[in-house]
Amino acid sequence: MLNLLNWKRGLTSLLFLTFLGFTIHAQQKTITGQVTSEDEGPLPGVNIVIQGTVTGAVTDVDGNYSITVPGPDAVLVFSYIGYSTVAIPVGDQNVINAVLLPDVTALDEIVVTGYTAVRRSDITGAVAVVDVDDMNQVTSVSVLSKLEGRAAGVTVGSNGQPGSYNTVRIRGVSSFTDNDPLYIVDGVPIETRDLNYLNPNDIESIQVLKDPSTASVYGSRANNGVIILTTKKGRQGKARLNVDVNLGVAAPVKGLDDILIQDPLDYHEIVRRSHVNADLDVPENIYGDPNNPTIPNYIWPNDGVSQTMTVDESTYSWPDNLIMRSSPGTNWWDEVFDPSLVQDYNLGMSGGTENAVYNVSAQYYNQDGTMKHNWMDRYSLRANSEFNFGRLSFGENFAFSRLRTVGGLGNYSTTNQRMGEGSVVNNIIKMQPVIPVYDIDGYFAGAKANTLGNGTNPVRQAYYDKDNVNTRYQAVGNVYAALEIIDGLQLKSSFGINTFSGLFKGFNYPTPENSEPTMVWSLNENYETQLEWTWTNTLNYVKTFGANHNINALLGYEAIDFKRNNMNASMAGYVSTDQAAWYIRDALGDPSTKNVNSYGSVSSLTSMFAKLDYNFASKYYISGTIRRDGSSKFGPNNRYGVFPAFSAGWRISEESFMSSLTWLSDLRFRGGWGITGNQSIPSGRTANQFGGGTTDTFYDISGTNSSLITGYRLTALGNPDLKWEENVSMNIGFDLSLLDRRINVMLDYYNRTVDDLLYGPALPATAGRASPPIVNIGTMENRGIDFSIGYRSALTGEFQWEIEFIGSHYKNEIIKIDGVQDFFYGPVGGRGGNITINQIGYPIGSFYVMNHDGIFQNQGEVDSHPTQDGKAVGRFRFVDTNGDGIVNAEDRDIVGNPHPDLTGGLSFNASWRGLDLSAFFFGSLGNDIFVVQKEFTVFRLFSTNVRQDRLTDSWSTDNPDGKYPLLDQTDQFSSVFSSFYIEDGSYLRMKNLQLGYTLPKMSWFQSLRIYIQAQNLFTLTKYSGIDPALPAISTDGSTGNQTDQAMGIDYGAYPANRIFSIGINATF
Amino acid sequence: MKKIKITPGILALLLVMLFACNEDFLDRPAQGNLDATTLANQDGVEANLISAYSLLDGWGNYGNWGGAASNWIFGSVASDDAYKGSEPGDQQPAADVELYQWATAGALDYLNSKWEVNYDGVNRANATIGLMREVEGIPEEDQTRIEGEALFLRAHYHFEIWKMWGNIPYYTEEDEDFRKTNVGTDALPLILADLDAAINLLPESQAAVGRVNKWIAKAVKGRVQIYAEDYGGALTTLRDVVNNGPYELEENFHFAFDVAHNNGPETVLAYQASVNDGNPNGENGNRNDRLNFPHSGSPFGCCGFHQPSQNLVNAFKVDADGLPFLDGSWDDTDLTPDDPVDPRLDWTVGRDGVPFLDWGLHEPGWIRDRPYSGPYSAKKNIYEQASGASSSVGWATYQLHSLNLHLLRFADVMLLLAEAEIMAGDIENARLLINQIRARAAAAAQGPDGGPVVVPIDDSSITWATYNVGEYPAAGWDAQRAMEALKMERRLELATEGHRFYDLRRWGDLKEVLNTYIAKEQDRRAYLSAAFAVEDRHSLYPLPTVQIELSKVEGENRLIQNPGW
Repeated sequence: MLNLLNWKRGLTSLLFLTFLGFTIHAQQKTITGQVTSEDEGPLPGVNIVIQGTVTGAVTDVDGNYSITVPGPDAVLVFSYIGYSTVAIPVGDQNVINAVLLPDVTALDEIVVTGYTAVRRSDITGAVAVVDVDDMNQVTSVSVLSKLEGRAAGVTVGSNGQPGSYNTVRIRGVSSFTDNDPLYIVDGVPIETRDLNYLNPNDIESIQVLKDPSTASVYGSRANNGVIILTTKKGRQGKARLNVDVNLGVAAPVKGLDDILIQDPLDYHEIVRRSHVNADLDVPENIYGDPNNPTIPNYIWPNDGVSQTMTVDESTYSWPDNLIMRSSPGTNWWDEVFDPSLVQDYNLGMSGGTENAVYNVSAQYYNQDGTMKHNWMDRYSLRANSEFNFGRLSFGENFAFSRLRTVGGLGNYSTTNQRMGEGSVVNNIIKMQPVIPVYDIDGYFAGAKANTLGNGTNPVRQAYYDKDNVNTRYQAVGNVYAALEIIDGLQLKSSFGINTFSGLFKGFNYPTPENSEPTMVWSLNENYETQLEWTWTNTLNYVKTFGANHNINALLGYEAIDFKRNNMNASMAGYVSTDQAAWYIRDALGDPSTKNVNSYGSVSSLTSMFAKLDYNFASKYYISGTIRRDGSSKFGPNNRYGVFPAFSAGWRISEESFMSSLTWLSDLRFRGGWGITGNQSIPSGRTANQFGGGTTDTFYDISGTNSSLITGYRLTALGNPDLKWEENVSMNIGFDLSLLDRRINVMLDYYNRTVDDLLYGPALPATAGRASPPIVNIGTMENRGIDFSIGYRSALTGEFQWEIEFIGSHYKNEIIKIDGVQDFFYGPVGGRGGNITINQIGYPIGSFYVMNHDGIFQNQGEVDSHPTQDGKAVGRFRFVDTNGDGIVNAEDRDIVGNPHPDLTGGLSFNASWRGLDLSAFFFGSLGNDIFVVQKEFTVFRLFSTNVRQDRLTDSWSTDNPDGKYPLLDQTDQFSSVFSSFYIEDGSYLRMKNLQLGYTLPKMSWFQSLRIYIQAQNLFTLTKYSGIDPALPAISTDGSTGNQTDQAMGIDYGAYPANRIFSIGINATF
Repeated sequence: MKKIKITPGILALLLVMLFACNEDFLDRPAQGNLDATTLANQDGVEANLISAYSLLDGWGNYGNWGGAASNWIFGSVASDDAYKGSEPGDQQPAADVELYQWATAGALDYLNSKWEVNYDGVNRANATIGLMREVEGIPEEDQTRIEGEALFLRAHYHFEIWKMWGNIPYYTEEDEDFRKTNVGTDALPLILADLDAAINLLPESQAAVGRVNKWIAKAVKGRVQIYAEDYGGALTTLRDVVNNGPYELEENFHFAFDVAHNNGPETVLAYQASVNDGNPNGENGNRNDRLNFPHSGSPFGCCGFHQPSQNLVNAFKVDADGLPFLDGSWDDTDLTPDDPVDPRLDWTVGRDGVPFLDWGLHEPGWIRDRPYSGPYSAKKNIYEQASGASSSVGWATYQLHSLNLHLLRFADVMLLLAEAEIMAGDIENARLLINQIRARAAAAAQGPDGGPVVVPIDDSSITWATYNVGEYPAAGWDAQRAMEALKMERRLELATEGHRFYDLRRWGDLKEVLNTYIAKEQDRRAYLSAAFAVEDRHSLYPLPTVQIELSKVEGENRLIQNPGW
């Protein structure tokens, strides 16, 4: 601190002297001029900066500007998005007119990388700059899902449910806990799994900071990379009105009706063979004589023994005496999924004067899910403005939104609630085709009769969810003030907030029509509120010394305060189902069932940071960062962490010995090393925690049969020595441009080693059930490459086109867990137990199951095989991995993993006169999917529906090559989790195809473009499920988020949408 | 020059920036939890003890049905008493247990639940003792009681674990190494030592009916002595309990399974079930036994597990004297409506056409998959509809109720004493004890639909069965007959209560009885043909693989798998 103060004192003196200097040598003069473009005439809103400073001006509507420069040595830099930057020395001139040419490379674009802005070509770290216009061609409510395939090294998981959250991973997976990147929106940090509050049309730029040399300025939260988003600011000039409208129709890319049996008698044939092959009597209560099966008149009432052909329908009463006719074959998928409408309306206004600029926008987005009664909508408002008073400026960026989500597989805040067996999608599998949708009185029908399984009518499920709205109001923004103390030295203070409140009401109706009915009317209500504020103060000095010494220095201080409170309540026994009665009040239901809980978390962070970038003539670069974070999540022993980083670059193409290579436009080598941290664990885990609840610790010791005495237990073990996860990583890469920058290549290699991983490895049960202490022992490594390669046609001529491929590969490996164990299981499973394992030497979330080794073809094979439960002809054979002569759970093996070998995006853009065409493909290669649904679709647990090819492709003596085991009612063995459940999830998908036409210019608008578009037009894959593009299952544990231990598992996903849309963009 | 004037303001701002990092800002405790200091008093110790009791039902809000304290899977489905029930695909791990395929991943997962919840109980009991030692100011009388209760619970949970696995590590409040080996530890003497200590510390009776006392500890000790084959010791302990203890049989068999008689004279140790107690899901109402109700067409709706076997039903046949067939001939043919039966059959098994307490006649449609698992329903866990014992919350409210689950009832104690008398005492005493049980069985039968639930066994309203229960005469009562009668009586009296598998093992009858059972029963239930032969290894369940893996220290397993697994 002391040194810093001395330094500061010195600086203050320096400032003082500099100001004096200004007053003595009064060589200041004012330059005026006009900026034009070759074809478009005067350009409004062009930025003019005095080189090496942040002093600048902006052209007005007619392209005119005026700026005061310190003297003839000054150089004016004119920049405008989409145009090449031009630098003009002032010299003796008083009028400087500049002509800007359309930009070829965007390399000189100024991009925000953390707390500072730099020229894109000067970045020495691994930073992906996303083409926001291309990105926004994809229709989605979520800016994150639009990111897929747009930045090398960034993978995005999402599904077709409107507003579903996204799993964004940068350069693999580095932690057993949270791996979500840190999002910085206009300087406000947002740690979340979605950015759904944000209108993607408001975004000006997105930069992804992938390596520590750029990200470590965010210190302890930067392990998973940082994504910097800035929103659109106003530009000086006449007010512009922007209108963007997009209307589309979405349909699922594929349906389960392509896969499942649709004819009840086909289904009966499955049942019949399963029983006959097992020497069991075939149930006759639905289809009658198994050798002459018929569809009965009624499926309920049924005595469990014989068919019901006649029922006195007048005896019907709900819920006690239901009557259900049979169905000739219900297509449950079709009953639940339908094409749906997507609407996106945007209105923006921007403009400004010399002293004030503004950008105001509003959006209404509404997307109906392809699943019935599933929809989301968003209203959002944004106001960004900035005011300048000489060297003082202040402004604000502020967005307010209301987001509502209904139905589907559960929304982002209650993520995995409905992802499992009970989801609407899985109930489509569970329902046999003989079950009708409705009973004779229009109530929902179900699987009440014996042998019809235990599913819930998915139409009913979706219908009764239709009014269970999750509403979230969110406000995110900041206010800031900046003072240019001297030229080039800016002091900025920014105060940002991220606050929301959310409300969910879910009303549950009884299911008398079910085999496993529930007879309760109940309501649950969740309320959550969060306030996080961030106060950031920075001092930034940008200066060019001499001709070639460029310095960008930063010093900053930041404080963050986070508070969240959740409350959930439930009550049962409602006497009215009217929405007006959806409250938790004694008179409305059975007050003895009332239950209320609340919980919350608080945390805080304080940080100091400094950064220095230096380059010599854009040829030699060196950069250093240091940040010191203090976090409330750690105990006093290890509260502070220091995160340094360095990088360097060499633009070899500028060297004289390269100048003869005219085909070489640019070649630069970059390298960096640094340390970042991760602190994404629950708060307060430094000390032992005690607690308990009525379920697990309270007890009716007095024998009242209706009351409980309080009990406590140790619920979590603390660790006072908790400290940061530390990610030490290095990055080397190059940027290469050839042939007048028509060919561009970028390649980065990285190695990230994360030490002191935060995790709570399971303790043996003999230690009790308290959550294990979170410890810092594990180590994980990610190595990989990110690359892009692109080609663009010459910029002359009417036909222009460009193509770019962005790809990435990583390899994840667990090096150490806790020093004792060499594995622990992942958090998810199915009826067959665990699926994933985290084991030393393998990637996180590897699939750990039996090795499936074909089907026993004859008794000889059965006899010669080691001991295996239930081994018999026609059943699956599993490998005795450990060779002990017994095939059992100890023979499980790592037989796959969900990590892709390569992911990539291919984009193609072309234009001819007013027409433009763009296409975008995304592909993933070499990732495995574990299809939990096979428990049902192949093995028919719970008498569910099954795959059509189970009839034709099951093993029998006549069909020895069948891929499924013999249909055998007593075969409980083949269904053991094995490599049979694993499929290659590689796919290539045409994500977007768009054809647009820009109208010739007319007086009443500035630009007008109309387009038609198709999304997810086709997918090439061998995957047998409905959609290989699977989001990870959001999973929380006592150590926080564990999603990455549950990747690539298909529990019944919401398929992606194929969307056809038309749109219009207009500026007036 | 205006700008320079601002500079001091900037300086001040910078200073605020740099010194705002004060420690208080970073002090953010865990929210919504209690800390160790808050609990360091008698209330904290007592509450820890309560949490140790709360696992008596085998449900601690984690794991699966395998944890059930009733042992309906490992003690009953694994024996000849009952099938898994329901339909083939449902709860496959329970079917793996039933078919003696105990090394499947699913079965190991069920076993792990049993292991986890009982060691959790051990751990909570030890935590109570540990905390009590650290807290000052607890009156000595309370200290004695608390320690006695905690030691009892520790012994109880260890015994549950021992019954399953035999070779187990034993944990006391002094243990810090939770990866102790199971090799070379004989748990039974340690359990008995804890019970002896508890007997010394506990009072004769307690104000709260759910707390254990000296007599409970003695009765449990007697049971452990029987399992330890210390018949002499058991004789002493159990004679004391039967002759001097506060227990007696309920006036009729049904009352032992009736909410109105919770904690009645027959209750030695029971889980205090509770519903409508503020828990949102009714999870204190015998949650782990919730599947064991008749299915769809019944008033309960779900889920049809733990269905009594045909073998068990046939065992209730009686001869003209009202005595069971001890020659094994009872299983030659299936029970017909004309066969006279022990009235306990219709308190134990739901049969078509027979009133199901006061829930109406049991009907074919109540069974989930009759060709698979036969026509019977479990009945002892059913409460009377009129009792109002049902929960009003939960996925299926009817399944959760306040009928206390017996962990040890006096009839069991009497039969254990009879066993000790046969092995080490006086076989005549055994006959008298067994006859007391039979006399009580003869006291009442299930009443008619719409009528009283309990009627005399010769009540004219009984149209579905002919009941008869006789007592064993002194004539011909020799040691062999006594043992055969005792084994049959234990089965009939305690059927489906989760003891059968352990009884068979204790008697050395496991392989013979179960292999005979499977050989015959697979003609009735075809799926049983997939059962493995019961071998020596089946006398102990395999340790859960995950626990073996977690016991690893420096690459070596500390827990060693049981023989044959």
